[in-house]
Amino acid sequence: MSGLGDRILGLGLLVLAVAYGWAAQQWPEPFGGAEGVGPETFPTILSVVLVAGSLYLMIKPDPDTQWPVGKSLVELVVALVVLVVYALLLEPLGFVISTTLAVGTLSWRMGARPRRAFLTGLASAVVVFVLFNYGLSLSLPAGLLEVG
Amino acid sequence: METLNFLMDGFAVALTPYNLMFALFGAFVGTLIGCLPGLGPANGVAILIPLAFTLGLPPETAMILLTSVYAGAMYGGRISSILLNIPGDEPAMMTCLDGYPMARNGRAADALAISAIASFAGGLIGTIGLILLAPVLARFALTFGPAEYFALFLLAFATLGGITGKNPMKTVIAATLGIMISTVGIDISTGTQRYTFGVLELYEGIDFILAIVGLFAISELLFFVEHRVRGGHKQVRVGKLTLSVRELVSTLPTQLRGGILGFISGVLPGAGASLGSFISYTLEKQVVGKKGRFGEGDIRGVVAPEAGNNGASSGALVPMLTLGVPGSGTTAVLLAMLISLNITPGPLMFTQNADIVWGVIAALLIGNVLLLVLNIPLVGLFVRLLSVPPMYLLPIVTMVAFVGIYSISHSTFDLYFMVAFGVAGYFLRKLDIPLVPIILGLLLGPEMEKNLGHALILSDGDWSILWSSPLALGLWILAALGLVLPYLVGPLLRRRMNAAIKETPVSD
Repeated sequence: MSGLGDRILGLGLLVLAVAYGWAAQQWPEPFGGAEGVGPETFPTILSVVLVAGSLYLMIKPDPDTQWPVGKSLVELVVALVVLVVYALLLEPLGFVISTTLAVGTLSWRMGARPRRAFLTGLASAVVVFVLFNYGLSLSLPAGLLEVG
Repeated sequence: METLNFLMDGFAVALTPYNLMFALFGAFVGTLIGCLPGLGPANGVAILIPLAFTLGLPPETAMILLTSVYAGAMYGGRISSILLNIPGDEPAMMTCLDGYPMARNGRAADALAISAIASFAGGLIGTIGLILLAPVLARFALTFGPAEYFALFLLAFATLGGITGKNPMKTVIAATLGIMISTVGIDISTGTQRYTFGVLELYEGIDFILAIVGLFAISELLFFVEHRVRGGHKQVRVGKLTLSVRELVSTLPTQLRGGILGFISGVLPGAGASLGSFISYTLEKQVVGKKGRFGEGDIRGVVAPEAGNNGASSGALVPMLTLGVPGSGTTAVLLAMLISLNITPGPLMFTQNADIVWGVIAALLIGNVLLLVLNIPLVGLFVRLLSVPPMYLLPIVTMVAFVGIYSISHSTFDLYFMVAFGVAGYFLRKLDIPLVPIILGLLLGPEMEKNLGHALILSDGDWSILWSSPLALGLWILAALGLVLPYLVGPLLRRRMNAAIKETPVSD
């Protein structure tokens, strides 16, 4: 079926819109009674608009785009994992080590030679670290490299 | 005369050594951002916002920095258009048409020089237009009530897809999503917790800077990983400058026409810089007629679109500064900076924050001069940077984005959140849902709700107040047109733009 991507998106948005609109109706009435506009008024309008939009998408979807399969999908997942792990290790390992690993892995997976990739990572990490910590006096976590 | 006084005050702000330094830095970085393919101006400005914050810059300096980056990006876009036939950003597309053939004819240096001068002329004309028009529009906007503002915001969303936009319904969906995200957090007027799910980090709402950087920078990285196309570009020889004064003078009318047309299309909602450069190019072709050799390296074919897109970029600041309603992705990001600085954008800004507004305008003038001075001698440096392969560049840009976000709050929670936004941005872009309306929705959502509330309190709950005044009604009609017109005119215009690009002999 053509336009599958848009139809799935439409379905997802419809669920979101309904849930969003339903949640808005559950809030307790604010103190001082109901006025013209309560906290739920605006969200209710939004959810109606999004319901209409998502129905339109499901009825008249655009042609599908190319989705990544096989190797590029793997690369995408790898890149994503690197980003999450980078955020995870930033504080425990410290900025310089984690950045070298993150930037190095990313450039390597993008097609740079491993040695040059990790050297680029190290160089950029050190430059940014020195610039931030000494030039701009904003502290980035030193982690394992912390002295004393 | 009053304007002139304000402008003088503006110069006094912008010319302090401290601010001048940041303007210079911004102009340099902006040109860099513009000339590197894959790092658009909106993206580049977004990454710099957290830095401006963590540096603790005073508001006027922060705005001067970002405005210079914005102006610089428009200059930079042309470099890769001319040398590589790859537009550095979207508005620079039309510059490829004659710029690249000129470079192939061995006149790369001339093309770069004349386009820098044209950019300067366009920027200057656009800024003068801004100085003349903005105060008038701001005074007019003071008569707007909450109902008019509500309609104005709708107009901004409706026209954001632009007249060439593909599917207006997707713009509507994107804007709604953005506004929905902005409703997360504690409701300002009643204190009700909305969509926080008891998560402490969500009480204050979702920081839009984090969302912007995630949506732009991270999704860009993911797109690149997926395609993994180009390696570095070959170093291009620029050659010697042979541009004569006579040739320069002969392009002056073109510069004037391009700058004015560009400014007009920048001010109008829904047109923007891309259309500005397209219109100036097409008009120039018609004015010059058969005498020109357009598409084969006619010098006027480089001048017209460059003057056009720089005029448009100054023009796009008019609605942003006077109404608080940006007309493009990059001006939306600039608005984000203003809001985070606790400055309420809109007509009152001209009276309450006159130093900032006029400082920015003066900085735009100074920035243009700086850019012209920077661009002619330093073009070799920018050309060399073009040959840095994206596989090194993009990871570093992503890392800088991480550092910026981390340094605002020192919390890794924000980093995960940013990555999540990046993934969402990737999927939305894959499905042709534009990201800019999402950003605008995030920014304008709270204002929209506030104005809706005020309007209904004034009318005692009568909804018809939203379209009762002639002005509000007019805005509603324009907004409706903005959604309908792309269906009628869009395919035609798009075909023409594509046809214009295909006409040129594209080699390689």
